[in-house]
Amino acid sequence: MGNKQTTFTDEQLEAFQDCTFFTRKEILRLHGRYRELAPHLVPLDYTNSPDIRVPPTLIVTMPELKENPFRDRIVETFSEDGLGNLSFNDFVDMFSAFCETSPRELKTIYAFKIYDFNRDSFICKEDLRRTLNKLTKGELTPEEVSLVCDKSIEEADLDGDHKLSFTDFENMVSKAPDFLSNFHIRI
Amino acid sequence: MARSPQRQSSREEYDYTEEYGSHSDQQSLRLRRVPSRVSNQNPPQFDWSSPHEEEDEEGSSGPPRDLRATPLPMALKRAMRQIQQMRVPVVSSRESWKRKKAKSLRKLKESGRGFLSFFSLWSKTLQKIGGNFGGGVQSYFLFLRFLVVLNFVSFLLIAGFVLIPSIVFRSVGSKLINSTGPEACMEYDPNPQGLVVFYNYFLDLLSGTGFMEYSYLFYGYYNNTMVEDVNFSYNIPLAYLLTAVFYFIFCLICIIVRMGTAARVVVATGVSTVGNYSMIAFTSWDYGCLGDRATKLKQKNIHYGLQVDLEEESMKKRAATLTLLQKIVLYSLRVSMCVLSLGLIIAAFFGIFKATEFSQKNSLQGGILGLFFEYLPSIVITAGNFVVPLLCDQIALIERYAPSNTVIVALLRSVFLRLVSLGVLLFTLWGQITCDGAENTGDCKLCQYNHLIYQCWETRVGQEMYKLTLFDFLINIAVLILVEFPRRMVVDNWSNKLTQWVGRQEFVVSANVLGLVYGQTVVWTGALFCPLLPLINTLKFILLFYFKKITLFYNCRPALKTFRSTTSTFFFLVVLLFGWGLGTVVIIYSVAEIRPSMGCGPFSVFPSMWSIVPMSFQKLSITSQEFLFFIGSQSFSIPLFALSCVVMCYFVALASVYGKSVALLRAQLKLEGRDKQFLVKQIEMLSQSQHILN
Repeated sequence: MGNKQTTFTDEQLEAFQDCTFFTRKEILRLHGRYRELAPHLVPLDYTNSPDIRVPPTLIVTMPELKENPFRDRIVETFSEDGLGNLSFNDFVDMFSAFCETSPRELKTIYAFKIYDFNRDSFICKEDLRRTLNKLTKGELTPEEVSLVCDKSIEEADLDGDHKLSFTDFENMVSKAPDFLSNFHIRI
Repeated sequence: MARSPQRQSSREEYDYTEEYGSHSDQQSLRLRRVPSRVSNQNPPQFDWSSPHEEEDEEGSSGPPRDLRATPLPMALKRAMRQIQQMRVPVVSSRESWKRKKAKSLRKLKESGRGFLSFFSLWSKTLQKIGGNFGGGVQSYFLFLRFLVVLNFVSFLLIAGFVLIPSIVFRSVGSKLINSTGPEACMEYDPNPQGLVVFYNYFLDLLSGTGFMEYSYLFYGYYNNTMVEDVNFSYNIPLAYLLTAVFYFIFCLICIIVRMGTAARVVVATGVSTVGNYSMIAFTSWDYGCLGDRATKLKQKNIHYGLQVDLEEESMKKRAATLTLLQKIVLYSLRVSMCVLSLGLIIAAFFGIFKATEFSQKNSLQGGILGLFFEYLPSIVITAGNFVVPLLCDQIALIERYAPSNTVIVALLRSVFLRLVSLGVLLFTLWGQITCDGAENTGDCKLCQYNHLIYQCWETRVGQEMYKLTLFDFLINIAVLILVEFPRRMVVDNWSNKLTQWVGRQEFVVSANVLGLVYGQTVVWTGALFCPLLPLINTLKFILLFYFKKITLFYNCRPALKTFRSTTSTFFFLVVLLFGWGLGTVVIIYSVAEIRPSMGCGPFSVFPSMWSIVPMSFQKLSITSQEFLFFIGSQSFSIPLFALSCVVMCYFVALASVYGKSVALLRAQLKLEGRDKQFLVKQIEMLSQSQHILN
């Protein structure tokens, strides 16, 4: 049934199926969505794996990401150059990590990367402050933000270095019952 | 080794610098290095890929699975995949056959899952609701969908084993035993006499009397027939009873299976404590949130959640500083408010009792007034369920509990009110059917039930449940049309202070769920007496789904106080289990204790409904009888009981061991972190002293 498509070779589709949580049909549909973002840039024929990257300004216009306060960080985390330009590989990778069947460990790793604004593999108070500001869009006063940051780090920090390493983050997230259902983008 | 080429390739592609100066750190922190996705300067980072590479080496859990779950960029994953594929010939043919089988099985499972999801009801709608209104509201609709499927499957069960054989064998078949008994008890005349006014049909439809009474809808129409053929026999009374019993067991299993998945999450994550700021900050944003309005709302939610937590903290601080006198005042206030709310609830029960008695005494009135009297118990129950929780909410405000406790207390009171009011109705009916338990006095002396008021008491009980179901549905629709739509129109078109203060309707999840549980409990208590009630309930819930969806999208604004979706699912199922318990008590009592009506129904000749089972039992072959006796005997049940105790103890021990090991590991993590800090400080001191020496 899928043999009529000429976007990918069968071998490429097999590779995608093995490396992501999507089926053939979903990968082809994702390619359609990717192409919609920049039709003049993205070719229809991907059999020779062209090296095309869509800039972040176009990617954040997707309805699934448009309203997300962390959209810039998400796109930066999954891009190879760290600036947000996504190739199709990165695009598929991104939605695969957010899909329903993706395991908790993978989601935790990527959540940590997203919230780590300065990419020092620790979530320090400044990272947390930026997270809260994006979450509440300035509804809290600076003192309240500072208080919440201090309390959050106090709650989750296990080794007492006043910032959250990955293990602290993972431990805290494992106690959150809604994490899996919230960290899920439907595409 | 497969590990080194990747390490080297990653080292070539990316570079990183260390935060700490000396070389010895490099060695000790080697495992903390990672190929970073960014080519600018970075301190040593956590090694994302090594745990998964470890599993790769063992190869036992199927490599492609690990590949999907590795947090590496796609290019690296494809490289790893190629390496794995090149490694395959080295593995024995048996191993590769096993891997191929596992892979094709997984593909089959996934395509099966895709096929099944095609059949899952309303999934797009549920996604839309979840995206726009959040997990709490979505859990209500998921619960509703679960009940629709449960009721529909139950109806198929009942139709297959009771309804269709009854229809098919209505003319064929012989009576099981010829009926004997007092003539007065066997009178049953459901059809009305004389000329029937046309609007009576409509009244009959609403109250289940008249043309609806003597139909497949109610118990009284089913016959005491048994069909015996050459190689086929069907005993309708036995089928009726066993289907009802199996229906209850089936519902219990469905609920418990669904609770299992919800409970696992609750147990694993433990009881969520209030003031969990980090959880709110990191896990509360719903990435699947769509639409501008929904995101603004989500932000308000989070803001509100944080504020609530901050407020609770300050309340706790204030509570800790109360003087003894203030504490005494507060506790006495709480006790008196509790007594007051209990008094309100008991007043509601008394009202229901009186209304049911009055209704049963005046049930022979005709016309609209008669309909009103018929529906009087339903009206009083609904009014009580509406008014009393409102008052209890106001009382709870005076009690000044912490906000989260207030919600729980209000919920428990509502559950208690709803289920026990139904119980009061049933108790009143019981009192009237069995002359308050004294079956050998007064009106009940002749037939052991009150044959003067109830010629066919099972049909009457079935009619009451039918009326309750119908009334519940009509009230829901009426509230929708007469309250919610006008409210929205008033609020949207008139903007003055009053309407702004009242605001749009909020979709209160807990109240709606309790309504569903109440409806399902009514069906469970009535299923024995009104076999088509599950079908009616299926239709009712399907229509309710669409009506509630419409009102949600047009009239409601999402609640600020959101429900935790996973713990709330578990809570809904626990409450549903209470309702199931009530239904079970009713069916056990009716089957075992009350004498079936002599004038109608499949059990008219038996002293109790249960007695058909021993009778049919004796018709079984000797070996089956002996086998069943053995299963019921002590020599089987006591070892079985002992075995299940042992299994339960095993699981309890396992759970406690897991809990202890989690606590131990957590403590170990803390220690390791402190050790690391201490060592780093030592290293710094040493390097400084070395520098000074040099």
